[in-house]
Amino acid sequence: MAVITATVILVLRAADRTWILVLWVLGLVLTLGLFRYHVTSPLDLSF
Amino acid sequence: MTYPKTLFWLLHGWVLAYCAVLLGAFTVQLVGGEFPCPLCMLQRYAMMLCTVGVLWILVQARRGELTAGRYAQGLGMGIIGAAAGSVVSVRQILLHILPGDPGYGSPVLGMHLYTWALITFFIVIVFVGVVSMLAPAGLPEAPAGAGARKVSSAVIGLFVVLIVANLVGIVVLEGFAWVLPDDPQSYNLFQQLGL
Repeated sequence: MAVITATVILVLRAADRTWILVLWVLGLVLTLGLFRYHVTSPLDLSF
Repeated sequence: MTYPKTLFWLLHGWVLAYCAVLLGAFTVQLVGGEFPCPLCMLQRYAMMLCTVGVLWILVQARRGELTAGRYAQGLGMGIIGAAAGSVVSVRQILLHILPGDPGYGSPVLGMHLYTWALITFFIVIVFVGVVSMLAPAGLPEAPAGAGARKVSSAVIGLFVVLIVANLVGIVVLEGFAWVLPDDPQSYNLFQQLGL
């Protein structure tokens, strides 16, 4: 959530495009990482 | 109204629609007293991630700096965010799909919030497809009037407020932990601080 907030701040401040994209991708990867953790940890499922 | 100006406001509609969804989620959480599970929070993150792409388009359009490449990048962020959110929504729907399972949380208008979330992600994907097909008709263009600018700023401001509110909300919910419990029953930060 902190990474998404930081991305929004960069967007509003019209920061360099590279930084916005890097932070956004980081936010996406962290979200998917959390998803993987929550999907696999409690029910011990595998894909 | 020309297509570029219509598109500018349609993109505001996207931001406003997700603001309404996030406000609804907060209402269920704060008024209804239902704590969001980790998958619920991940769907909120996906909604914010895909809306950040549109926000980027709008900010550049307001500055008159929007190019076709950056427009495509913003839409791409939107569609990838929606795709990620769809995966989480489908996962949560499948968790509760067995007959007799009451689902997580209270249904709204007959469906659970994660089912509504999937519908919104689907709408986003279709919307991006349509505006991409119409891209040769022009890029979003900000109207010149001061009133239009105020409306635009208000929509963007509301989204920013909701981002900050979600940041505060997840800190209070998680407390001093890296992840949410699978079935949160309280605001961990308050408990850990003895409040």
